[in-house]
Amino acid sequence: MKISKNWLKDYIEINEDDDKLVDHLNATGTEVDEMISSVVFDDKVVVAEILKIDRHPNADRLQIATVTDGSDEFIVVCGAPNIAVGQKVPFAKIGAKLPDFEIKKAEIRGVESFGMLCAADELGLGTDHSGIIILEKECELGQPYSHYIKGDTVFDLEITTNRGDCLNHIGMAREIAVFEELPEIQLPTISLSETSEEAKDLITVTVEDSMACPQYTARVVKNIKIGPSPEWLRERLVACGVRSINNVVDITNYIMLDLGQPLHAFDLKKVAKGKIEVRFARTDETILTLDGALCKLTPEVLVIADIEKPIAIAGIMGGAESEIDEKTVDIVIEAAEFDRKVVRRGKKIINISSEASYRFERGIDSEKVEYALNKAAKMMSDLCSGEIAKGIVSAGNQITRSTIKIEYDKIATILGLDISAPEMDSILTRLGFSIDKGVATIPSWRHDILLWQDLIEEVGRIHGYDKIKPLPLVKIDKPEVTVFAAKEYLKDLLVECGFSEVKNYSFMSEKDTALSGLDCSELLEVANPLQPENKYMRPTLLPLMLKNVAQNSTFDPILIFEIGQVFTSDSEKTNLTIIASGKNAKSEIDTAVKTLTEKVPALRLDIESLETDRLNKYKIRKPAVYFIDLDLSAVCEKIKVPADISISSRTEKNITYRPVSKYPSVTRDLAFIVDKDLPSEDLVNEIYGISPEINRVELFDEFASDKFGENKKNVAYHIYLQYMDRTMSDADADAIVKSIIEMVEEKHHGQLRK
Amino acid sequence: MKHGTLHPTSIFIREAVSVFEELGFDVFEGPEVETEWYNFDALNVPADHPSRDVQDTFWLKDGRALRPHTSNCQVRYGETHEPPFRVIVPGRCFRNESTDARHETTFYQLEGLYVDRDVKVGHLMWTLSTFLEKLYGKEIKYRFRPHHYPFVEPGFDVDIMFGGKWMEILGSGMVHPSVLENMNIDSEKFTGFAFGLGIDRLVMLKYGITDIRQLYSNDLRFIKQF
Repeated sequence: MKISKNWLKDYIEINEDDDKLVDHLNATGTEVDEMISSVVFDDKVVVAEILKIDRHPNADRLQIATVTDGSDEFIVVCGAPNIAVGQKVPFAKIGAKLPDFEIKKAEIRGVESFGMLCAADELGLGTDHSGIIILEKECELGQPYSHYIKGDTVFDLEITTNRGDCLNHIGMAREIAVFEELPEIQLPTISLSETSEEAKDLITVTVEDSMACPQYTARVVKNIKIGPSPEWLRERLVACGVRSINNVVDITNYIMLDLGQPLHAFDLKKVAKGKIEVRFARTDETILTLDGALCKLTPEVLVIADIEKPIAIAGIMGGAESEIDEKTVDIVIEAAEFDRKVVRRGKKIINISSEASYRFERGIDSEKVEYALNKAAKMMSDLCSGEIAKGIVSAGNQITRSTIKIEYDKIATILGLDISAPEMDSILTRLGFSIDKGVATIPSWRHDILLWQDLIEEVGRIHGYDKIKPLPLVKIDKPEVTVFAAKEYLKDLLVECGFSEVKNYSFMSEKDTALSGLDCSELLEVANPLQPENKYMRPTLLPLMLKNVAQNSTFDPILIFEIGQVFTSDSEKTNLTIIASGKNAKSEIDTAVKTLTEKVPALRLDIESLETDRLNKYKIRKPAVYFIDLDLSAVCEKIKVPADISISSRTEKNITYRPVSKYPSVTRDLAFIVDKDLPSEDLVNEIYGISPEINRVELFDEFASDKFGENKKNVAYHIYLQYMDRTMSDADADAIVKSIIEMVEEKHHGQLRK
Repeated sequence: MKHGTLHPTSIFIREAVSVFEELGFDVFEGPEVETEWYNFDALNVPADHPSRDVQDTFWLKDGRALRPHTSNCQVRYGETHEPPFRVIVPGRCFRNESTDARHETTFYQLEGLYVDRDVKVGHLMWTLSTFLEKLYGKEIKYRFRPHHYPFVEPGFDVDIMFGGKWMEILGSGMVHPSVLENMNIDSEKFTGFAFGLGIDRLVMLKYGITDIRQLYSNDLRFIKQF
């Protein structure tokens, strides 16, 4: 939700600077995602008037405008469709620096252009690129455009689902007034000049179900002139990320962003007999919505209908057939309150959501419906020269406010704050509650306050959570050994045997299940996967781990394990799967079995091997793959984790992470004869220092022997070379390897073993 | 000489778990496939309320769902244990969305729950600040910010300062009375706090990993670094 600081100033005087205000918003529960301060323009962007428009000789979509800044004339090539002779526009002269580029003399399709007429986005005023900004007639030629722009700051706020009342400027102004301790906001009174014609003679309103629509109000405005909105209105909408359409639509959007009341405007002539009925849709009724889709309705969907058919989906979207268009003369403005659950249900059934439904679902201010209607009517009269018919046509009533007994002591205790009842009353009163003898009447705009516990937050966040003192928990013993610890113990044992832990997704695609020959009817199936990879839940860990083996073909051996949840349609279990593949696979997995069963006698481990045709299916090019597949569910509780094993013991290793390229890497093995007392780890670090393209250096062999000479040893490393942005070539790899060899020879008098 | 490696997420979870074990927290792990009751209804997230839309849930054909948070274990643990109790729940969660360098369908959370007589906001603050200081050292900067979650009242987000910017790492609050009632615990007698810590982003920060999908790539060039 975007909130404009200039707009807030209609209601409150803000003295804090923007950064402080952001801190205070965050501290009181309104998260600020982003703060956008308006840009300062170069003075070379000036007001100019369009004198003449010619067609571009070589391009249909381009025009050649002649403009003046009051003293000189300029020829400008322009692609925007909305310019006309006599308009005043912001004109960026050659040399003007705009947010994204600098204006230079240019030749566009054979015509020289001396500057640019600017659209909003080019000036950094939002994202609107629909046309050149058209300025008010009063703007003075040649003056910097910045003189006509009010500096603004826009706050992009994350409003949580409970605070529908903050989805508008009056709501945020109220919130800020409370924590900045500003005077209470008074809504300006609206005085309307009405014609003598009675609205009730033009329309009637009936509501079928007052639970679904507690109140419905409408006014008729006649003889309106549809046209563009004035600059100030367009600026405010654009600041909030809303596109300007025409004055009538803009006013309804403006009121929603201003007061939080979604409005709808109907073309009076398209409401059959002027009879408005709020009712549930009939079976098989349909409506063509504003976005052009034919929408099937059901009897759970509340609609606004005339005597013939639905003309809007209540609180969600208008219908195309009663839409305002350029021929519209008389309109009906609707301001209503629809039940939150009814709107939510309707939205789900027809699968349409809108800014209006978003607000109705969260609840609107029941007591400001009429005010919003009147303000809209006033704007329609001021900005569209409309004539307001006399009176409001309405049905239903405002919802009565509910009350809560304030549990002063309990609130103070849970907060751990020394805060008195009068202080709490004062905070709640500023928030709009009215307090009488310890009972709070809830403001009409707050639908999230139901229990006394809900008041804890109100008191706490305004009083200041930073005043709460931390309270230590009573010390108690560590828990007894848990299943979690047992699993981590198994992981440690496997890591000691040289195995690495992998974590695969819990999902399998259709392709994965086919590859591993699984019967899909026994699998747990996802009903709404966004991606085909997420269709089934894995019934065992093995298939995805075999893909890991195939994917890591440059490694030999591959020793991996995973502990994770596996699923069938009626069970969820914890499995352990271990795989050994490649060089010495059998002896590696034998060692693991020996270690595991020695330390954990409860384990029953069977080594299985994969047949060649399955290896081929997975494109595994290693001669042998052995695996162990084990259901841990029953075993974990029997595992005795030794007391001297701490589950954090293996985590203190100092790791410098090196990013992994998505492009293939090259592996080289290098063996050197070096001094026996040269630590092999030091050499690893020095090799890393040779080139940033070295992704990994892995020691795989180290032994001393007299055959290498006195006090000499053999060290051997796997070295992985990669580029982050392309495939590593053999030639480049050779060059890096050469540098490594030179370093070892020169610095450590080492000798490469061929 | 040669050693295998633990997954970086496992390393982080173990560090976090061991800090909470020192504070006397039990460790519990619940199911990843969960009923609507434990995932949502028991947590005061009714179907007819917009807060239900916040999580993009993977629904299963049988009507159950993949848990969108480890909070499913709050009521699971609470209804089978007599207060006072304190428990943490590390585990895998799911979000139905398209993946990119910053978004994953699969992620890990660490849930915490403490129920006792007279549990106050100060206890929650002490526990989380103790945890953060043990994990990141005394110099870590953090802040509590009010936030709304339907299963707590009041609710907070906790941000830590990282690289000069505030970063949201966990949601927390005092357990909502109706959640306590769903554990068959008398909310007049007992209060509690709960929190949910997002693991994956902290793992990425710890090692400087820039693409979240790496955590599930199982590329041995990645895996064998830890």
